[in-house]
Formats: sequence, structure tokens, C-alpha cells
Amino acid sequence: MKVAHDWLKDYLGEKTPSVDEVDKLLTFHSFEIEGVEKVGAHEVIDVDVLPNRSSDCLSHRGIARELATLLNTTLVHDPLTGDITLPETDKLSVTIKDQNACRRFGLALMNGVAVKESPDWLKGRLEALGQRSINNVVDATNYVMLSLGQPLHAYDAGKWKQQDGVWQFGVRFAKEGERIITLTDDEYELDTGVQLIVNVADDTPAGIAGIKGGKYAEVDKDTSVIVLEAANFDPVVTRKASQFLRLQTDASKRFENEPSRELVPHALDAVTKLIRDIAGGEIEGWVDVYPTKQESVTVSVESTRVNALLGLSLEKDKMQEILVRIGASVEMTPTGFLVTGPKERTDLMLEEDFIEEIGRVYGYEHVESVLPETVPLAEINTRHYYSEEVRKVLIEKGFSEVITSSFRKKDDVRLLNALASDKGYLRSSLRKNIEEVLDKNMPMVDLLGIQSVRVFEIGTVFKKGEGEVIEHISLALGVRQKQTGYTQKDDDVVEEVMVELERILGVALSFTLEKGMAELNFTDTLSQLPVPAEYAQYEKVDDIQYRPFSVYPHMSRDIALWTTEGVTANDVEKVLREQAGELCVRITQFDEFTKDGRTSYAFRLVFQSYEKTLTDAEVNTVMEKVYKTVEEKGWEAR
Amino acid sequence: MDIPKGHQHPLTKMIAEINSIFAEIGFVFAEGPEAETEYYNFDRLNVPKDHPARDMQDTFWFRKEDVKEPTVLRTHTSPVQARYMDAHKPPIRVIVPGKAFRNEATDATHEAQFHQLEGLYVDKGVHLGHLKGTLEYFFSKFLGGDTEVRFRPSFFPFVEPGVEVDMKLLNSDSKLAGRWIEIMGAGMVHPKVLQDAGIDPKEYSGFAFGMGIDRLGMMKYGVEDVRHMYNGDLRFVNQF
Repeated sequence: MKVAHDWLKDYLGEKTPSVDEVDKLLTFHSFEIEGVEKVGAHEVIDVDVLPNRSSDCLSHRGIARELATLLNTTLVHDPLTGDITLPETDKLSVTIKDQNACRRFGLALMNGVAVKESPDWLKGRLEALGQRSINNVVDATNYVMLSLGQPLHAYDAGKWKQQDGVWQFGVRFAKEGERIITLTDDEYELDTGVQLIVNVADDTPAGIAGIKGGKYAEVDKDTSVIVLEAANFDPVVTRKASQFLRLQTDASKRFENEPSRELVPHALDAVTKLIRDIAGGEIEGWVDVYPTKQESVTVSVESTRVNALLGLSLEKDKMQEILVRIGASVEMTPTGFLVTGPKERTDLMLEEDFIEEIGRVYGYEHVESVLPETVPLAEINTRHYYSEEVRKVLIEKGFSEVITSSFRKKDDVRLLNALASDKGYLRSSLRKNIEEVLDKNMPMVDLLGIQSVRVFEIGTVFKKGEGEVIEHISLALGVRQKQTGYTQKDDDVVEEVMVELERILGVALSFTLEKGMAELNFTDTLSQLPVPAEYAQYEKVDDIQYRPFSVYPHMSRDIALWTTEGVTANDVEKVLREQAGELCVRITQFDEFTKDGRTSYAFRLVFQSYEKTLTDAEVNTVMEKVYKTVEEKGWEAR
Repeated sequence: MDIPKGHQHPLTKMIAEINSIFAEIGFVFAEGPEAETEYYNFDRLNVPKDHPARDMQDTFWFRKEDVKEPTVLRTHTSPVQARYMDAHKPPIRVIVPGKAFRNEATDATHEAQFHQLEGLYVDKGVHLGHLKGTLEYFFSKFLGGDTEVRFRPSFFPFVEPGVEVDMKLLNSDSKLAGRWIEIMGAGMVHPKVLQDAGIDPKEYSGFAFGMGIDRLGMMKYGVEDVRHMYNGDLRFVNQF
């Protein structure tokens, strides 16, 4: 919700805190602040109103009221108090079909309105919040919604066919396949879950209830008689319709979150007065059909429970003070309070809701840390325990652990709503993922400083069962030694590792072995293993220095050389490193032998840049430098 | 030549460390299915059907013909809270590290799959101070230095009060030190969640927290792109 700082002043007057102060107060007691920006003369604060407060705080009055609570003050002007002085009229009628779906429906009639451009102050405020100015009447309805949180709509009464001299409004559900064209000229095909505002005289849809107005009876520059609507629609009905139509609006967002039904008369009062001020005209009167009253909820709040849940030791007086500050009516009882929240706070239903109010208004910074008393561990997680055992064995054998995607392009279990066409299914096995990992890493062995790629994964796989999806933990591992692909020798490595795993776990493992990859049902294996008595000691490793890796390809060069007597591999490596410079990201020794008192060493140098793809010429230049130095040292490149 | 040792994935490495830290104060490593019923994933966490709170999570659904009960890829590891409370009487102390899924576009900070750490402590007299104390204990051990935790108001349907948790590493030469980092959501277990598990909210209270382990890793190790965690690239894994 974007909030204009100067707009808050309408309600808080001189007591309006500075933008910084608003930021701080709301951040630590109410809502996160997404940002503050200056739009023209307005400072606009983007407040991330929490879902439970979207009922009352998607409005400037709501935010101002929240600030008043936090500042322990009152609003200088509160549009939700005071009597409504609108006269009643019999020129308007309302028929509601489903009183649970439409709980309240208010209409006001105005004559002699001049539709024109809005005054600058109004345009300025709307535009500061990113709202487009349309005309003074439509702007007034939007303005009051942003002020009070009650969505409104204006109809051109001149275009609304009367019956018996009465403008007859109806609220009913749409018929299957019924159509409506909205204000923005979009046509929607409806279903029976969508509620409509209709002209009873000819049953024409005039608006989608709680979501968007229709083209029918649209206010334009020639309009002079208007009917204003403020209503309250069921949140679930509104939400379902909005989802069905894929149409979320400022109005539907508010109705989904159960704004107070008590806003209706205040909003009609405010909007008619505003229109009178900026568009002229007379307020003829209003009707208010309110079949499903908002029940006020009174909750018993025990003072010991307040402190017990918050970990505070507040006095009862302090709790009472805070409850009064939020606008609740509070009755003292021997053990606490009977509390009724203010009418616009439809979110306050439970004792815990009021406890939260006390906690956040008082301030969570007062909560002291308490570490729960240590108790012995009641259970050991078998899967975690043995997974760690398996990891230890495999890592020792040169295997690195991967965690791959649970999604696949094609497999057994298909998702209803996939993220992408190549992620429409869930994996039933890890084997294909392991194969892809081998393929992907094989060209990088030089860069990684390894001779073969050895990987494993322990992860969940999914299969169709009888009316359910069956999942189990799978363990898969794969080996690849040759750039040309799988060889029998890969299977040999896997088999050897499996023997070691069987030895450590003490059970026979039944696994499939194919193309250097083995997979087994680890959930089954676990069922054969004894419950461990305690976890192995965790060894903390703190020397990890992660560095983002280059996305550019690498290039390898081998160098083999005869050294002079007494020169070690380390000595050679040091020289190579110095000469090869920063582009050389890895030096691996791959050979060493001594003949006739001379030792030959062979190294592989891997080059890679963080900025670009290296060319042969660039790497050759570096290697020439290396060879030159080698020569100067009296070593002989082979 | 000898085969060099392999490397453990940073996520399972962190999970092992997290488990060791919480095990010391009696938190059991609990788990549950990744294909979870709508009932446990949402209803039992006080997220009713057709409620705006469901918008907070984009969900992968299984097809009706494959499942008798409406089933989702769990959007958090929180359903294990309800599963564990169904099977155990308080006092309850559990952590639930595990994979979870969100149906949202992937970028450097979002993945359709991620790992979440859920924590739950239910007993007589559990309060927000215990949450603060437990989290400060955890972060101090995990990040290796004194840490401070602060709460800001927040909303999650399965807790009341709900808080956003910020963490600050003190007196350390780590890059993370000296600033507040928004790290997780938490709160006191909603009375309805306790009640539905057959636990009397008048007698027992509890705290719950949930945080992204991937995010924790990105923070701890300075990983710049969450997608590295799941693409099987050894240029990434072999640095750990």
C-alpha cells in the first residue's frame, strides 16, 4: 500500500510523525517498509501491509490510526466516527439474492453533478500513488477508497433504466455463460460463482460485484445524475470470482480481506461530500440494505497468559492501556479483561490476537532471551545418521555429492501445473540426473584437478501407487573416467565402492548397475539397519572460502621437463605458478620418474579468465614465457 | 596416483551441522513426505481453502487421477509440525530440515526447489523469549560468534503472534558482522494448530520458526546464485 505522507496529516494533523519516524514506528511495531520515494511534492511511503491487516490498513486512515496507537495519541479527524447525516430516499432500491455473499449494499443519489477534470490537489495525491486521474467523480470514489479502505463505484443514473420511477439495483450470481463488458472494455464470460450488480428493470449486468464496474451506466462528461455504491461482499466469493476471471483489482484485494461492513455509510458520506465539493450537485439521499450484520466479538484475555506467551512481565494496567490505545473497549475482570476490538479491526478474533497487539505495540525489543533447559535427545533420525555414514564412505572414495532437480521432462508422475514443459514430471529415479551430471562435468576434469568424475546423490524419487504417489529415498552414484564415455572400468569402480558400503553398513545392498551408475532404494536399506544409539561427532569445518567460478571455457597445456639434480616437484610447481600468472587457475602434476639420476616431472596447466574466452594465442604467449624460464633454469622441456 | 577425496554438498553439510547444534539442546531431527496432502500442507497450518493466505505460496499440485486425497509438493517443511504433534505428546522439540517446492520463476535468488529448516518447541510455559534464546544460541554456534536476534511484527497463518526475525553477528571479522540480516519467519504456534493436533492451547504453548537453508548458505559462504545448489556443477560443489 502506497501511503502519501501529506495525506496522513489529514488525520493526524500536527502530530504526524516525520517520514523517518513513520518508517521506524511501523517497521518495529506494525509493517515492513518497502521504500520511500518523492513523487512531485509528495513523499510516498510503500508500506507492506500484512495479510491480517489488509482489512483495515489498505487505507490512509488505517495507517494513520495505527500511527496514533503507536504514538499514544488520537486522530484529529477520524472519518469513521460521527453520525451519518444522509437523508433516506425512495428513488433507489436494492434487492440482494444471497445475503451471505452480499452482506451490505448502500447507494447514494446525487443530482446536478458537473463531471470534469479533478482539482490539482486530488490529481496530485492520486498520481503520487500511481493512480491515473479519470474525472472528478471517478477520482472521488478512488480517493475515498484509498482514504478509508472501502471500494466504491459511481453509475450514471441517466443511463440506468428506471422502473416505476425507481433506480432498482440487484445483486445476484451470474448465469453460466453470461457475459459482461467492463469499464475498460474487456469482455468476460462468467460462471455461477461470480456475483453481479444488475439493473433489476432489465436484468442487465452493471458490474462484477466487488471486483470491477461494468461499461453499463458509465460516468462520462455528460453525466449529471449519479448513483454511488458502497457495499460489502463475502471474501471467499470475491476471491474465487477474481481467480476465475484472473482479474485482481484494488477493490477485490480489499474485499478478499474482509473489510468492516461498518465502513459503508462512512464511505458514502465521505464520497458524496467530496463530490459536492469538487463537482457540485445536491445529495438527494441514500438507501442502506444491511441484511447480514457484522457481529462484534468480545474476547476474554487473561493477563497471566499475556505475559506467559510474550515472555514479558507487564502490569495489568499497562496491558489495559495498550488495548485502549488500539481502540478496543476493555472491561476489567479479576484475572484480565473482556476486550472488544474497534469495528474496523475484523482481524481481532482470539485472545492470541489481542496478545499480539499488546506485544507489538509495547515492543518486541523488551523480550529477553531465554535458552530452553537442555534435555536429552529423545530420538535419532535413522535416515540422517546412515546418510552421513554413506557420505563419509563415498567422499573418502573420491565421490562428490550433488543435489539435482526433482523435476524431469518425462517420467512417471506428472504434475498438474508444471513450471515449464521440460519440468512437467517428477523423477522416479536419480540415474538420469546422475548421467547428466557426469556428462556435464566430464569436460571440466582438468579445471577441477581430477582424473575422473565421481558423483552421488541421496534424494527423494516419486512413483505412482494405488490412488497415491509413493516416494522413497534413492541413493545413486556414478563414475566416468574417459572423455569418450562409459567403459567397463567405470563399473569396476562402482562395484568396489559398493563392497565398501556393504562392509560399513553391514547389510547386502541390492542395486542396479548400468553404464557406470548404480542406484538403490535407500529407504529399503534403512529398514534393515539397526536404530543407532547416537549421532557421530560432527566435525566443524570453517575454512571454506567460496569463490564464484568463471563461466568461460578453460584451456589446458601440458609441460614435461627434465630437472637438474635436487629439484623437487614443489620447486617446479612454484616456478610454473609464478610464470603462468593469474590466468593459470590450476596446476596438477600427473607424472614423475627418475632415469640416470635425472628426474622428469609432468604438469598440466589450466587457463581460464573471469572476463572472456581465452584464445590459443593468449595461452601460447603465457606458455612461451614459461618455457623461457624453464630454459633459463637449466631444465629441459621434453 | 591417489584419487582425491570428494566433497560434501554444502546443503547436506549445513543440515548436518544444524542437526548437531540443535541435538545438543534436545531437538529431534523429524521428517515427512515431499508429496504432502493439502490437509497437512495447508489446512492443518490454519491456511483454509480460498483464503488470501494461500497466495503467499505458489503451489505445485498433483493430478486428481493420481491421488485420492488432494496432494501437493510441500511448500514448506511446516506440515511436519502437525504430523509430529499427531504422533507425539508434548514436550516436543523438533527441527525439520528438508526439501520444499514453490511454483515460481527461477532466478539467482529463487529456485522451484529449496531446503527449509522448520523448528518447533511445544511445552508448558514456552514463550517468545525462548524463541529468541534458541535462535541466538543457534546462530552463535552456526556462524561462530556472538549473535543478537530481534523481532519485528509479521504474519503467518500458523503462528500468533507472528514475527520476522533479524539476526546480527557481533564482534566477528566476518563480512556479515555488524548489520541486521532478515533471516526467517517465526512466532508462537497458533492455538488452532495445537488444538487440531489434540494439544490444549490453554495448557501448552509453543514456538515455531522456518528459514531457508539455501539462503543461510548463500549468506554464510557468499554464494551468489542459488541455482548452483541444484545443477550438479562440481565447480561449485568441489569448493566445499
